Amino acid sequence: MTIKKVLIKLVPLMVIASMLLIACGPGQVTTPITTEQPPAQGLVTVTFRSWSPIVETTTKMIEAFEANNPDVKVEATIFNYPEYIVDLKTRAASGTMADIVGLEPGALTQEYRDYLLPLQDCAEKTWGANWKDKFYPIGIDQARLGNPSGDESIYGLPALDQTINLWYNVPLFEEANLEPPKTYDEMLKVAEYFNGKGIAPLMVGASDGWLRRDVYMQLIHNIAPGKIYEAEVGNAKFTDPEFVEAMKWWKRLFDDKIIQEGALGLSAYPGSMELIEAGKAAMFPMGAWWQQQATRPNPPPLSKGFVGYAPFRFPDVTGKGSPPEDLLGGIDVMLGISKNSKNADAACRVLTDFIAGAGAQALIDTINDLPAVKGLNPSSFETQHQEEVWKTFTEDWMPKVKYARQLRDAAVKQALEDALAAVAAGEITPEQAMENVQKAWTPPK
Amino acid sequence: MTSISMINPGQSQRTLAIGKAIRKNLSFFFVVPALVLFLVFVLYPIIYIFRASLYEWNGLSAGTFIRLNNYIQLITSDRGFHLALRNSFYWTFLTIFPQMFLGFILAYILNSRIIGKNIFRMIFYMPAIISPIVIGIVWERIYNPFGGLLADVGRVTGLAFLQQSYVSDPKLAIFSCIAVNVWQWTGFSMLLYLAGLQGLSEEVLDAAAVDGANLLQKIRHVVWPMLRHVHLTLILLGVIGTLQTFALIFVLTKGGPNHASEMLPTYIFQNAFQLSQMGYASAISVVLLLLALILSLFQVVVLGARFSLHE
Repeated sequence: MTIKKVLIKLVPLMVIASMLLIACGPGQVTTPITTEQPPAQGLVTVTFRSWSPIVETTTKMIEAFEANNPDVKVEATIFNYPEYIVDLKTRAASGTMADIVGLEPGALTQEYRDYLLPLQDCAEKTWGANWKDKFYPIGIDQARLGNPSGDESIYGLPALDQTINLWYNVPLFEEANLEPPKTYDEMLKVAEYFNGKGIAPLMVGASDGWLRRDVYMQLIHNIAPGKIYEAEVGNAKFTDPEFVEAMKWWKRLFDDKIIQEGALGLSAYPGSMELIEAGKAAMFPMGAWWQQQATRPNPPPLSKGFVGYAPFRFPDVTGKGSPPEDLLGGIDVMLGISKNSKNADAACRVLTDFIAGAGAQALIDTINDLPAVKGLNPSSFETQHQEEVWKTFTEDWMPKVKYARQLRDAAVKQALEDALAAVAAGEITPEQAMENVQKAWTPPK
Repeated sequence: MTSISMINPGQSQRTLAIGKAIRKNLSFFFVVPALVLFLVFVLYPIIYIFRASLYEWNGLSAGTFIRLNNYIQLITSDRGFHLALRNSFYWTFLTIFPQMFLGFILAYILNSRIIGKNIFRMIFYMPAIISPIVIGIVWERIYNPFGGLLADVGRVTGLAFLQQSYVSDPKLAIFSCIAVNVWQWTGFSMLLYLAGLQGLSEEVLDAAAVDGANLLQKIRHVVWPMLRHVHLTLILLGVIGTLQTFALIFVLTKGGPNHASEMLPTYIFQNAFQLSQMGYASAISVVLLLLALILSLFQVVVLGARFSLHE
């Protein structure tokens, strides 16, 4: 038999073998394997994979947890967000998900719902029957965002909450004798003052879709509170006049030179962050998480003790004279437990500790964002101003967070982000933009 | 009866025949490991991806068989995909040839006896060894019309054309990314050309000089044709680089604004992992594969396949 003959016989066999392997592809349900929990013996290892909190903070949280729980060892792997979603998907598909995973409310959690353990029992066992009272209500609402009708289970518990809002540079405003604007006209006056002085009136790192969307969400919240969530479930259309109007206001922010030139080419992090910390921005859209700038190593003068910034609500664009009292926000990061975790009980202990125990205290001490549970505060503040800002968020604003920052459908979210870029670049009209968003919408399953 | 007489002559012949067959086909067994690797890491993923492209599938749940609908959507209505294809075309021609041309000029100059040529060689080559992530972050600062380097230079010198919205203008974004790529990889082309130039026969160059060829004639008629193998190598590597372009775009523009600088790999990533449309992303991957196949065939058939630096 010649090599040619061998190859002629072998290659089809290999192709057939490949085809057999392919049979495990998209047509098959890759059901996660549920393994019985082994008896607790010695040290139990719980794995944790997420994009948030950052490595340094996570290390402190683990140290705090392990100090009180010597029988459990936590092994954490923290990624950048784009890498994390690749890791999460490949691990879920191959049945090797970590015991505890980081999640976002809405689309991300819903995608992995079949792979996650409902957490009500874990929460009740740890905190008692009234466990939900510990949390800010918006967190519990959003934990179920996108659940199918009738499914009241909670597949992830919030670890950190947030608001989205605007910030202003305190020294710049004091020097200019300006107050944070409450209306669009006042915002225009601020822009007039700072334009030409090398200061961006509103610094937006708009090459990041999430930041474009954050600004639009605040505009539509201003014009028609809650309507976008109606459109998401099909009770309104994205082509309705309110959505188009919000898109027109977005365009005006560029045309009126309130947002800086070249915003669509500037990233939120590190691009706009560096310019903001260098004092080149009078105002900027970020959320409560901006407070973490003060706790990074060697913060610049504006961020040290958080003396340089103060939050304010997005100005009113409707002519009412002041922005709405309620805010947008909700869960920053939530934690879930894998259904195939071999150590679900230990994972529950870690997860609840990271949310409301010693681990949570370590987390909040870094002022990474707002706590998901009420009454948890940093052990100390560097300045009185920093403490005042913290109290504004936790005592005044968080209880008033009524609407979600996130949308439930990834395709609509992407279409909206694309539409915002296209309108800002002058490629399409606001009407065409919202038609594109409506086209991306599909009825919720 | 002796032990020798116990051997069956027929059996002996068979043993010899088997031994002969093994010796004859011995080389085949050396091929098996490569074949197995090919099966697992090339053939299997290709067939898997092709099959996935026929499904509406998020990568986790059971997919729904939708025949060629993903391809139909790609071809008929996906603006992002069309822009990514257009940009791949731009990228192929506007990075490979300028890089080759500039790299050749640099190599030719730095192959002569000039002071500090090793330092210049190092400086020009350095961008090629820097991570595209770092390059993306640095060029974001350079391009930013609000306080960026080019804008500030334009402001100070009065060269207003420097104050452009390089990556925020959809018309300019892809060309701005291409310029960065050319800046990064020209040094690499230079290095290959330097190696090629140093391998050229001095006698041939001297003969050209004796025949009265001036510098340009020598380059055009002697040096450039003799570096054909380097040109082919650079074209091959350039095409591979084009089809793999991800990190620079992801950091510098994220494929925006509104897909204006989208490339196929960034679009695949967005669909597969940000939108969880794994089936659709697979269809784009199949197109990318076909594109790679066509370009490879073009190179082999039209340009020839002598890529080695040592012909």
